[in-house]
Amino acid sequence: MRQEPIDKPIAVRADFRGGAVTPIAFRLRGREHRVVRVNARWVDRVPRHPHFYFSVTAESGDVYQLQFQSADLVWWLDSVTLEG
Amino acid sequence: MATKPARTGTPPPEAGAAHATPATAPSTEPIILHVDIDAFFASIEQRRDPRLRGRPVIVGTGVIASCSYEARRFGLKAGMTLPEAKRLCPQAVVLQGHAQIYRCFAEKVFTHCRDMAPAVETFLDETYCDLTGTERLHGDPLEAARRLKRAILESTGLTVTCGLGPNRMLAKLAGKAVKPDGLARVTAAGAGAFMRDLPVEQVAGVGHARAKTLRSMNVRTAGELRVLPVETLERLFGAPGLLLHERCRGRDTAVVSEREVPLSISRETSFHRDTADPREIEGMFEYLAGRACRTARELGIRPRTVAVRLRYADGESAERARSLPQPSDTDPVVLALVLDTLARLFTRRVALHQVGLALSNFVRAGAEQGALFEEREAGRRAALYRAFDGVRDSFGHGVIVSGRALHLKGRLAEDEHGFVLRTPSLTR
Repeated sequence: MRQEPIDKPIAVRADFRGGAVTPIAFRLRGREHRVVRVNARWVDRVPRHPHFYFSVTAESGDVYQLQFQSADLVWWLDSVTLEG
Repeated sequence: MATKPARTGTPPPEAGAAHATPATAPSTEPIILHVDIDAFFASIEQRRDPRLRGRPVIVGTGVIASCSYEARRFGLKAGMTLPEAKRLCPQAVVLQGHAQIYRCFAEKVFTHCRDMAPAVETFLDETYCDLTGTERLHGDPLEAARRLKRAILESTGLTVTCGLGPNRMLAKLAGKAVKPDGLARVTAAGAGAFMRDLPVEQVAGVGHARAKTLRSMNVRTAGELRVLPVETLERLFGAPGLLLHERCRGRDTAVVSEREVPLSISRETSFHRDTADPREIEGMFEYLAGRACRTARELGIRPRTVAVRLRYADGESAERARSLPQPSDTDPVVLALVLDTLARLFTRRVALHQVGLALSNFVRAGAEQGALFEEREAGRRAALYRAFDGVRDSFGHGVIVSGRALHLKGRLAEDEHGFVLRTPSLTR
């Protein structure tokens, strides 16, 4: 397993229904990657405004870590984990 | 063999008396619940990446910090060196770990525990909950623990092992007998039988050295330890011998205390490459001191004692703790003592592999006696660092980098939490 940091803001389509946020797809290098599974979600409440984290599997099978910063309503793509 | 407590759903024989009472009637004996997150770091990594599930996973650098149950089948365990682990299990996936993520998951688990118990004492991956007197609210403690396990699994995806007992030690030992994902209870009435055949190392307070002494006397189980008179145990081990006399009988008087003030705040890391470069070493200490002081300020506490730890590339280590003239949570005050201690401690002509510091012996901020002539300066400095904390809360710790820590720029990767350390540690 090899985790590669990306650390850049990205556009994410997300579902905010039911008081929870769930990423559905994100755009990376001009291409939309559909989220096929949210593997895990966690919240970091140490910052003044919580950061919501998601580990998601995209259609390609790669696992990405997304972050939603509630203070400025911005999504970040933290990293991708590749097999091998 | 020890009398093993029953797993989930099956009342153990010792629990008969407790179960005979109505579920809503308060019991007369204390009820302590021990919650332990199974294979904590490795389980989270398997949650985050489904491709790791079912595979042996190791988290750690240099040594195993945590490994999955699949890895444990190959004989791997925490503390084993990575070369040894790879020899035993070449197919294991080795990950460096993500301390910040583990902290978030642990907090979620502890929140469930706090919802249930009036007093909760938390550690890195385990917690003690005092459920005494909560039966009218939660019903049967076993059923309450079962609900807690379910709630934790649903919200985090993690399994926990729960042990119930009349004291901390028995609660922990009850859980230990049914790991992973287990649930068991030992009552006061059944404590004697449960403890009798347990290996003496499992008695709280018996570490490697005491176990060696006891084994040399042919004492191998808690039952055999009971035979020794209390005077003998006191002569052998001093005051802790008195505790062992009680604990081998299943008696433990330690209470569950909400540790709002941690015992210590430790920050340590190994270097990506062993180094003797004073700029890199001092820079790392400045960064670690800044992180530790910020945590102390967030908790509203000030340390009296600062310890510096060094681990050389050849495996030798050195540690020294010193006291501050006045308790302080400001970076320059703590750093001055750290660097002075470092100068006295770093005496060998060998590169360093790992460095760390620990703040301890805390007082509440504002509770200590101030220094008469330095109060205005101390106040100005405290205000400055509170302002830094505010900026860092909004924009991340790494947005302000001070003095010597600038030497780490370019050597270490950075994220919004600051420099990405090779082996970050957590507050205890």
